[in-house]
Amino acid sequence: MTSAIEVRDLSKQFGSVRAVDHLTFEVAEGRVTGFLGPNGSGKTTTLRMLLGLVSITGGGATFGGKRYLDLDHPIHHVGAALEATSFHPSRRAEDHLKTVAIAGGIPLTRVAETLDLVGLTDVARRRVGKFSLGMRQRLQLATALLGEPEILLLDEPANGLDPQGIQWLRTFIRHQASLGHSVLVSSHLLSEMEETVDDVVIISQGKLVLQTTLADMAAQAGTGTGLRIRTPEINRLAEVLNAVPVGWRQTAPDTLVIDGATPEWFGPFAAHHRIVLYELVNERGSLEDVFLRLTRGFDAANPLGPASGQSAPFQAPGGPA
Amino acid sequence: MTAPTTAGIRSELLKIRTTAVPWVLAGVAAVLEGLVILASFLGNRTSNGGYAVPSTTQELRNLLGSGYRGQGYLFALLLGALVITIEFRHKTVTTSFLVTPRRWSFVTIKLLSSALLGVLLAVLLLVVALVGGGITLWARGGSFSGLVHQIPAVAPGMILVFALFAVLGVGIGSILTNQVAAIITILAWFLIAQGILVALVHSAYKWVPTGAGDAASNLTRSDQATQIYPLFSWWQGTLLMLAYGLGFALVGSYFLTHRDIT
Repeated sequence: MTSAIEVRDLSKQFGSVRAVDHLTFEVAEGRVTGFLGPNGSGKTTTLRMLLGLVSITGGGATFGGKRYLDLDHPIHHVGAALEATSFHPSRRAEDHLKTVAIAGGIPLTRVAETLDLVGLTDVARRRVGKFSLGMRQRLQLATALLGEPEILLLDEPANGLDPQGIQWLRTFIRHQASLGHSVLVSSHLLSEMEETVDDVVIISQGKLVLQTTLADMAAQAGTGTGLRIRTPEINRLAEVLNAVPVGWRQTAPDTLVIDGATPEWFGPFAAHHRIVLYELVNERGSLEDVFLRLTRGFDAANPLGPASGQSAPFQAPGGPA
Repeated sequence: MTAPTTAGIRSELLKIRTTAVPWVLAGVAAVLEGLVILASFLGNRTSNGGYAVPSTTQELRNLLGSGYRGQGYLFALLLGALVITIEFRHKTVTTSFLVTPRRWSFVTIKLLSSALLGVLLAVLLLVVALVGGGITLWARGGSFSGLVHQIPAVAPGMILVFALFAVLGVGIGSILTNQVAAIITILAWFLIAQGILVALVHSAYKWVPTGAGDAASNLTRSDQATQIYPLFSWWQGTLLMLAYGLGFALVGSYFLTHRDIT
């Protein structure tokens, strides 16, 4: 599969801060890639480097083999909706789009089309200063779509959206993918994106933690399945568990988790040993847990430890899917 | 001119037209010019107590060039500076750089469109002078056609100098992208510092932007008599003004090229 975006060994130094550190990943053509990491992990800086807004300290990034700066009419190829981009408050939504369309050599008929695509037709003549955050996000998307680009970069597009807005955004992004467009969408919440993305690129402290498909990540999450037990007789429970071939770990003074166990097995087992239970919960590891484990484990507990992430074999996104 | 540049200028004109900046600046400049014309009529008495009617060539030219006399050039300067700093103030520069990733190209488009806006401002102020001057001349029995006859002598210099000051404004704004800093610097230099410098060193006047502008405009400004300070010829003044404007823009483009837009 060919790459829409290639990021190779990308680094950015802001004074003494290494905001992005030898970052390498790819965005596959025609797929939605979630660009995930905690706040301050370097997502925005990376996106801005891709677009030539922030200078690159080392490495490089290309769209179909070309730097953004070298693209002929860049907004016809790459549409970007970035955070902290703003509008002149007294300019009308329609006029804002017209200024971009004219400068980009885009027919003005696209202005009404894109306003319609993002559902802003009714407020086309309204001044942007009167827009809500959600409406501004939509206007950002409309701006990105003007040139009918085949690649979209969206920086935290869900910020400030209400639940309906987020639902709308998911549909919008999936629709873009269905048109064969490639989308790189950043978020600090995997849960926000897990219904939307095909692939994930996870970064933490400017470093790549993991690039994989969502399907693989879900499989990883599945291995976290277990049964959480809270009991006042934890020592006796541990004793009887040691007599049977199951793995378990204590997570709190009165709580332990038994790997892969089911309530159907454990219920009768506990009854047989006459152990008092306060709680019995079937635990399924969520993607969010995997995400948090990866990013937290990476930056706090052991920066060099889960080299599993950093040195993980580069996985061609979408291969198995 | 290349197609992207023409498109850039058209986009730029729409951008600025959809903000209050050009309307407020042009409106204030026009009103001030009206007041200058009115004041010069009321203040210009003859020895027998009547109002003097501008009739000599120089008087009529001064009347027609009222938009430049006084501090009229400041409006072109501020217009140029605002055209570029407004993008940073409202962070619209991110979108502009996405559309026009080359920073020097962005500055070039600003220079050209501001020069055009300077021309439009000069034309507006000439029209105000014709209307305002025409009314007062008519009221005092002067010759309106005499005023009209001075258009070829006044308009080219006036249009040129407004374009030059707008270009200088963009140059300053490209370095001082903070709008407040740019405006304060412009006012501090042109209203205060430059006056002090010239008071100390008379021969410096022809080298400072206002002196170069006076030379380029071929007009006498009311706050400086050309007979006091020597000036360059009009084309030397034009070149000097361009050197200031484009020189600053070059420095500004260099800084912008190395600037992270975060």
